[in-house]
Amino acid sequence: MTVIVETVGSVLRDLFPLIWSGVITGCLYALGALGLVMIFKSSRVVNFSHGNVAGFAAFLVYGFSSGLLLELSWGAAVLLAVIAAIAIAFVSYALIAPLVFESDLTATIATLGVGLVVQGATLLMFGADIVSLDLPVPRFSASILGLLITGYDLTVLFVAVVTIGILFFVIDYTKLGVAFRAISDNAFAAEVCGLNLRSVHLFAWCVAAILGVVGALLIVPTTFLSSTTVATFMLQAFAAAVLGGFASLPGSLVGGILIGIFMNLFTFYVSPEFSSTFLLGVILLALNIFPNGALAKVGGSRV
Amino acid sequence: MSESVVQSGRPARSGSDWRLQAGQWATPVLIAVLVCLPFAVTGSWTYTLGVCFANSIGVLAVSVLVRYGGEVSIGHSFFAAVGAYSVAILEHRLGVSLLVGLPVALALGVVSGICFAWPSRRLSGIYLAVSTMALALALPEIINNADEWTGGFEGLYVSRPVVSGVGMSLQRYYAALVVLVAVTYALARLRHSRQGLKLLLARSHPAAADAFGTRRVWARVSVMGISAGIAALSGATLAFASSTVSPSGFTLWSAIFLLVGSVVSFYGLTLPRALIGGAFLTLVPQLLSASGAWIPVLYGLALLAVILCGHYLPKIGGMMHRRARGVS
Amino acid sequence: MNADAATLQGRGISLSFGGIKVLKGLDVEFRPGEITGLIGPNGAGKTSLFNCLTGAYRPQGGTITYAGEPLGGLSPAARAGKGIVRSFQTVALCPDLSVLENVMIGLSRKFHAGWLDAFLPLPRGRRERNAMREAALAALADLGLADAAALMPGQLPPGMQRLVEIVRAIVGRPSVLLLDEPAAGLNNAETRDLTRALRNLATPDLVMVVVEHDMDLVMSICDRIYVLNFGEFVACGTPAAVRNDPEVVRIYLGSDDD
Repeated sequence: MTVIVETVGSVLRDLFPLIWSGVITGCLYALGALGLVMIFKSSRVVNFSHGNVAGFAAFLVYGFSSGLLLELSWGAAVLLAVIAAIAIAFVSYALIAPLVFESDLTATIATLGVGLVVQGATLLMFGADIVSLDLPVPRFSASILGLLITGYDLTVLFVAVVTIGILFFVIDYTKLGVAFRAISDNAFAAEVCGLNLRSVHLFAWCVAAILGVVGALLIVPTTFLSSTTVATFMLQAFAAAVLGGFASLPGSLVGGILIGIFMNLFTFYVSPEFSSTFLLGVILLALNIFPNGALAKVGGSRV
Repeated sequence: MSESVVQSGRPARSGSDWRLQAGQWATPVLIAVLVCLPFAVTGSWTYTLGVCFANSIGVLAVSVLVRYGGEVSIGHSFFAAVGAYSVAILEHRLGVSLLVGLPVALALGVVSGICFAWPSRRLSGIYLAVSTMALALALPEIINNADEWTGGFEGLYVSRPVVSGVGMSLQRYYAALVVLVAVTYALARLRHSRQGLKLLLARSHPAAADAFGTRRVWARVSVMGISAGIAALSGATLAFASSTVSPSGFTLWSAIFLLVGSVVSFYGLTLPRALIGGAFLTLVPQLLSASGAWIPVLYGLALLAVILCGHYLPKIGGMMHRRARGVS
Repeated sequence: MNADAATLQGRGISLSFGGIKVLKGLDVEFRPGEITGLIGPNGAGKTSLFNCLTGAYRPQGGTITYAGEPLGGLSPAARAGKGIVRSFQTVALCPDLSVLENVMIGLSRKFHAGWLDAFLPLPRGRRERNAMREAALAALADLGLADAAALMPGQLPPGMQRLVEIVRAIVGRPSVLLLDEPAAGLNNAETRDLTRALRNLATPDLVMVVVEHDMDLVMSICDRIYVLNFGEFVACGTPAAVRNDPEVVRIYLGSDDD
């Protein structure tokens, strides 16, 4: 009897922290996924440059605050990096805009081109080495019910909740947000009604860029900053978006958190070395079992 | 009305006949030049060209998927790795040369392509692109963790000659050339075959293809099988031509580069087009070897330039045409 | 197999989209050796009935049999394998293939060259390809399209594209041929060619069904006509009978609801 209690106890001791930290990183995956989904919903384009641009912006924060490019306060560096990311989003949409209405696949290939250029720019400006980027997060930790909660955890949770809250508020209540929803539902009808597709697309691209930068900055403390880490982090974001149905904002939020938890459980209980293979499996499984996302009713196919 | 169209069609047809004849001559001449080339250039160029041929095959694999399937893959490095490692592992374990490795690579490539296509048979467009991206990202993990077979990070050497007594550098060159020519020849046959016609109809009008007995799932799985088989041949050829396989040659980036090569060759399936794509992938890094970070920038710009040209040139051409007609 | 057995039959076919009943329990019989017309106003359910017959839609109720064999569970491709072939309302030719190659697709069901023949220069593949080419050329010549064989579909006017599509449908000698508005977009001369070709096509074994708005065409080639309105048959019979049916006249001429 006591043996059983002990095993259950130890499983719980492992499980709760794993789920907790999974939820935390999952919020970040969700931030990445929300950006992908916003762009996809409005313009039917999958933005493969998302991770590269976000990683580039994280590097810019490093460059602006460490003295490599400039020596600014942290807040100013982040602001500049966000502006740079929005500028890149602007330019990439301007390049892709004429293709969007012709073929979403061609436009998607074009985003790979943007990603390559941004990736090359990162390498040219900052090299291929690992750099350390510290976030000014409150440093404390507290143990609640055996759960170790750090200042980083709370910062991530706070920032993610506030960002996503603002995003949903904007989409629900502002004019641009209403236009975004209308266009996502039926682009043709919305255009006939006089909505400007391009301004809504630009809105989605810029919001996605901001979400990407926030996600990239917050993920950095858990890993390190190199020219490839953030791009790899985007695989999780893609998996989250797929799990959420790729066209649903709440879906990608749930998808992100699920992916965070699954990844933690998988690396702890199975193997830390096959995480990308695991994500591949999750993506294929999700696309087959819930062709319209875990939240949607099953029915219809994505052909 | 119908008469006038047929009439106006005639000169166009004889024009294309003329072009067809020129095209018929261009490829044999090109092959003859390539056959003679090793006697005219230095050894390092022979090596580079061998690698270029292997890359050209990889570009063809991606172009086949675009042309016949209407799909984009950024995970073809996976299938190339299947081919490359089959050749290398067969040589290490069984001591057999490319002659055995190549057919095995082809078979495994086709099988792995079908195995991947089956769970994603109902996915199209961007969903396939995303799942192939995951495939490419999962690949290095798999290779590194199967180090007992794959040699892990360091990879394996491929050095067994196909024909004994002939210099290895010539063998590397000619083996790659033979495979490339054979693949373009087979693809030219496919274009006129029953299956090729069905696949092309299935791409442009799936419902019509269905009504003529072509299942969408069949079309999707077949195209992926063909494309993955060609990718595996390219990997096998690359392993032989470059004499080594390692996980660094089969990353997400190498898969994206294959797509870049395919776009740059306008998704062409002929020998000259494939060579353009392959040369782009092989020679650009060679020329930029001093500053490697420029490679992705250049590739990205080339990709965007070709896509935007493909978008704007017909429009500009149409405008000029209209203007010219307006004047006359 | 006697001729009567090779009929295409529907019993109680009903289809609805989200509560809207498109087909209301239709009983229908298409006999071999006859050309059956299917007419009715726009939205009457003609194309929906077609899609049920070819397997593109799964009707919620009723059974469809061909030569006594139920088709219920078969996919469109499997029905095509049984020789049930259709044409489309909108032109569905592959723009990358020449007219001749587009027609050759219609024959592919009859040939069996495998993948090896597709990639390698084997005699069987070459023989089959030549046979397909000749048969397709002959079929194009029948409709006066021999000169267009080497052109791409985009180089033809819409009327000729439609004829090419019909050639593609009939070239494989189907046992059931469903033509969805074959004369839409054709000019008078082309319609005449088509009428003649369809008449020549009728054989004792072929079930032919034509959905068409061109009344002259329907009245001149059809042996029997079904009139569909709001998902129900309002009349069925010979052209003369249908022409004089008061209900049909009301639908087409005496429009109370307009």
